[in-house]
Amino acid sequence: MKKNSKLALLALVAFTTFSCSSDSDKSGNETGGGVDTGKTKYIITATTGAAGIADYLLTTDDISKGSITTTGNGIEQDGSYRYYITAQNNFFSLLYGQGNPGAVTTYNLTTEGKLVKKSDFQAETVHVFAAVNKDILTIKVPRSGAASIASMYKIDAEKSLITGEAQQDTKKLAGNGERAFFTWATQVGDKVFMPYMSIKGDGVDNFGTVNPDSTWVAVYNYPELKLEKVIKDNRTSYLGAYFTNGLYQDENGDAYGFSSAAATSNSVLTSTKPSAVVKIKKGTTEFDKTYFFNVEEKSGGYKIASSSYISKGKVLLQMYGTPGTNKGAAKLAVADVYAQTFTWVKDAPLEISFTTVNRYNLVSEDGNSAVVGINTPEGNWIYTINGTTGVATKGMKVEGGQITAIAKLKY
Amino acid sequence: MTTHKFLFFSIFFLFSLVSFSQQNQGVSVSGQVIENSGQTIPYASVAIEKTDLSMIADENGKFVFKNITPGKYTLKITAIGFATQKKHVEVSDRDSNFSFQLESELNELENITVLGRSQTDKVNKQSYSVTAIDAKKLHNSTLDLAHALDRVSGVRVREAGGVGSRSELSINGFQGNQVKVFIDGVPMDNFGSSFQMNNIPINLADRVEVYKGVVPIWLGGDALGGAVNIVTNSKPRTFVDASYSFGSFNTHRSSINAGYTSKSGFTTEINAFQNYSDNNYWVNVDVADLNTGAYFPNQRVKRFHDKYRNETVIVNIGLTGKKYADKLLFGFTAGENKADIQTGARMVSVFGQVYRKGNILMPTLKYQVKDLFTKGLNLNLTGNFNFGEEQNVDTVYRRYNWFGDYREYAGLGGERSRTLRKFKNNNGVTTANATYALGERHSFMLNNTFTTFDRKESDELVPESLVYKQPKKTQKNVLGMGYKFDYNEKWSTSVFLKDYSLKTTYSRSYNPSGNAGDIAYQQYVDHTTTTGYGAATSYYLRHNLQLKASFEKSYRLPTPEEIFGNVNDNLEGNLALKPETSNNFNVGASYQTSFNKVNALSFDVNLLHRNATDFIRPTLNNNQTMTTNVNQGKVTNYGIDGEIRYSYKTRFTAGLNATYQNIRNMTEYEPNQNYVSPFYKDRVPNMPFLFGNADATVFFNDLIKKGNNLSVGYNLLYVHTYYLSWPSMGSKDSKLEIPQQFSHDINAVYTLANGKYNIALECKNLLDNKLYDNFSLQKPSRAFYIKFRYFFTKSHN
Repeated sequence: MKKNSKLALLALVAFTTFSCSSDSDKSGNETGGGVDTGKTKYIITATTGAAGIADYLLTTDDISKGSITTTGNGIEQDGSYRYYITAQNNFFSLLYGQGNPGAVTTYNLTTEGKLVKKSDFQAETVHVFAAVNKDILTIKVPRSGAASIASMYKIDAEKSLITGEAQQDTKKLAGNGERAFFTWATQVGDKVFMPYMSIKGDGVDNFGTVNPDSTWVAVYNYPELKLEKVIKDNRTSYLGAYFTNGLYQDENGDAYGFSSAAATSNSVLTSTKPSAVVKIKKGTTEFDKTYFFNVEEKSGGYKIASSSYISKGKVLLQMYGTPGTNKGAAKLAVADVYAQTFTWVKDAPLEISFTTVNRYNLVSEDGNSAVVGINTPEGNWIYTINGTTGVATKGMKVEGGQITAIAKLKY
Repeated sequence: MTTHKFLFFSIFFLFSLVSFSQQNQGVSVSGQVIENSGQTIPYASVAIEKTDLSMIADENGKFVFKNITPGKYTLKITAIGFATQKKHVEVSDRDSNFSFQLESELNELENITVLGRSQTDKVNKQSYSVTAIDAKKLHNSTLDLAHALDRVSGVRVREAGGVGSRSELSINGFQGNQVKVFIDGVPMDNFGSSFQMNNIPINLADRVEVYKGVVPIWLGGDALGGAVNIVTNSKPRTFVDASYSFGSFNTHRSSINAGYTSKSGFTTEINAFQNYSDNNYWVNVDVADLNTGAYFPNQRVKRFHDKYRNETVIVNIGLTGKKYADKLLFGFTAGENKADIQTGARMVSVFGQVYRKGNILMPTLKYQVKDLFTKGLNLNLTGNFNFGEEQNVDTVYRRYNWFGDYREYAGLGGERSRTLRKFKNNNGVTTANATYALGERHSFMLNNTFTTFDRKESDELVPESLVYKQPKKTQKNVLGMGYKFDYNEKWSTSVFLKDYSLKTTYSRSYNPSGNAGDIAYQQYVDHTTTTGYGAATSYYLRHNLQLKASFEKSYRLPTPEEIFGNVNDNLEGNLALKPETSNNFNVGASYQTSFNKVNALSFDVNLLHRNATDFIRPTLNNNQTMTTNVNQGKVTNYGIDGEIRYSYKTRFTAGLNATYQNIRNMTEYEPNQNYVSPFYKDRVPNMPFLFGNADATVFFNDLIKKGNNLSVGYNLLYVHTYYLSWPSMGSKDSKLEIPQQFSHDINAVYTLANGKYNIALECKNLLDNKLYDNFSLQKPSRAFYIKFRYFFTKSHN
């Protein structure tokens, strides 16, 4: 019986993985994204670190070796700070306008594989952006002041236009005297799950909270974006982090949430619960009380900083370097959320400045590894990290800038 | 010991040795230099022929030679713009006093004078690298101080838009707070937004001095790479200068300056000015659809939310010409301004309701006394305190586009960030300047400038906020000592030492118990002290060829805004900011010549080198919502600027100036990067590096009626194209750049009754070229202005 169900699961995984990829390929063909001839082009964004100057967009066919530079190479972008999302085989570059509206530039590939600008449109500065169906869902969340209305925008990823909006009063949503601050949004089934942190937003200690030991996920339907319910848990803290995804749907349709358990009050860590992974079973809108993966315990006391889903329950984790705290130089690990195992990454750089793990999720062609940018004091490289063995393989070196994101498009 | 330190001390000791060797006994010879009209001529040079005695008269044209042996002498008086006069005098065994009336030379041009230069040349002849603008020559124009400075070589004024928009000076690659602005030697730190370079009319100034690099000791305070000193007319006189101008974009400006000095020395002055503009000039932008975000590309639209107004009154009452006080003035400056905010830092963010306002309420004191206790000891004290406050208002929850359409949202919010935040900086400045002349050759100077800042903040939207209740105080003191040695009238040298100190009081929050919600503040007091030094020397190789050289190890202490931030400017404070420092070297030459007695030519050239470390540069804060300043790296600049001017009789003058600066990033390793920075040795981006001005004016003297003159002038501004980001980064076809810019301005001024009545017509940006500044903000399109001015003066002797 057990064997059978496992087999069935495997088959299902195989099927969904396959169908998923073929889906996205097909949509790439139809949708204003570049023509798909089956080839892949990687886009590496690199910041020179200079104030007021956005990342350079570099493109390459192979990230496993060699080097690439921003010197005399790459597309220069307007503005100062940008974020990226890939949807419908288009690459979107969102200007972070510090509360002001910002231009979004859409790029795609020509048949020769050259990255070209497709269009510009205006959008609000947001903290959350996620692909949902054929749209990009973006959310602008207020963190303080009298305004407590979060605005959600639906952007048609083919036409690069805003097609709908919805509002959510974050004080009402929190209902505890504080306000809800969405950390990210993830499509789960036909709904959108938005984990949030409860924050004071009082203008003094905006991201502090007096509720450090609870987990919340707001469930919205789509495309109406109507709030259906808020699901709660008290075994760990909030999922994800400011501007950081902490909820993934696996190939089975189950959702796994990652908590740093690093809520603060006046910049002092006040969570008493461990950093952990929780689960929401497919088709339900409740936390699975039978599932709890205590990562803090398995890792020897370290807390999760951010995460990136690979496949089949394998996840790349970036851990805070100082045990029991939300501080310290980043350390990388892989975990299997099914088997609840934790393995430190081997052959990763000893000293890491920052990585692309928190916001960008790129999986190798075979689906077994995470592709991440790792910036160190010695230089910046793209690594491929095997989700099962935890072995990191050094790939392309990026010169003239630190890697902020890696994405890929088909052509 | 580094080379320049060695050089400095060698020069210092050399002069200390040479200096104490002059002893004479005798009487004093004093006098005053005046014009035919009776008006005094400031800064004339007075020499006693066949002796090595010479000096420069003071601003009232007065001079005193001491220890003169009785006998017959010839005094030679030279003042640029006037015919040289020689006068034979006999000095008896009693102190004697002579008066000299100089003939204006403008109709004769006997000497090597270039039209368009005047008394301000005296300033230019200092050892420092300095350019003075004779503001009086621009009194008929509608320029504010900032735009007058834009015509000086080596100087660029960078502004965000039209009338009243935020402007920033850049001198030879240093900009913002690195360049200090003074008014009559008093630093204009934190005068608030109501009294700034961009709203002070040119008529308030007599001249404007621009020091490039080395800043002289009497301008106390800390400047990294240059200073601007606005000198107002301080001569006791009775005068009225009233003007009104009107022009494009519903721009109205008026100013009244009037002064009265009685025989008894009672002095009263009033300066009042007002600026108003809708600033609704045309811009080319992409306009977004408010619902879909789609852009209507390259629309030509009018700015719709950019009204600016300010009104300021300065009153001074006191005494002049008394024994115990050459000048004692009590003053009060009161003003206010309100400015609509049309855009964010980029033109993609457009607002329709946000505005800022501010005021200035500042009592001032000026005290000057000469020959205090002993001959040659002069003392100058000033003090002011600004009780003004600033506010940013953003309470309308709307989103606008460039068509002026908007969407209003439910609930409470703002266009950018809902706020009613007010702050009062309680800023005070005192300066004390003492000079002592020992004999004709030596003078000593002591200057102390003290600045205090104690910010109080509030926002009625969050009255309970503890953040606003924390101390934000700084006290800054800059003490300077200088020595000047005038070997003879050809060679003059100054050396100086400066001591900088900064005390900062602030607090940091912490959680005393570790329990959620518990908060406490710990107060800190930081002290920083450091020492700088410098030297300047000038030498007349020939009577019309002057060479100058100067060096300074300069420091700039971080400003209160850089330490504590300014939420209205989206600036986050950095409590750990260190002073920045630079070694500044300047070498310059100026040469005048004439031919056929009707053609005059002048040449000025300056070479400079800057080597700055711990450079304070802006960067984004942790969550990228504000900018913050950090100490970083090394920046060097090798630059050259020059000016050529020609005039033909009194009928025509033309000039050309140009600046090239090679500002390079010399930071080999960025923090936390053990590899060579990709833009090491790259040109510093977003900074013009080649620019210049050309101008020409034709004069029609005695047109229609004697005493009525017409001038027609043209001014061209050129800025070479420059990159917004590091030049070496990215592919060439994707580089963002500020395109090459030309701006043509023309003007015609008709003056009646020898300058009593004036009418001026101006056209700015004649060809309606697209002009840009920082972050490609567009500047005004073509504009026309007319100005009427009445001027009356009577001087006192």
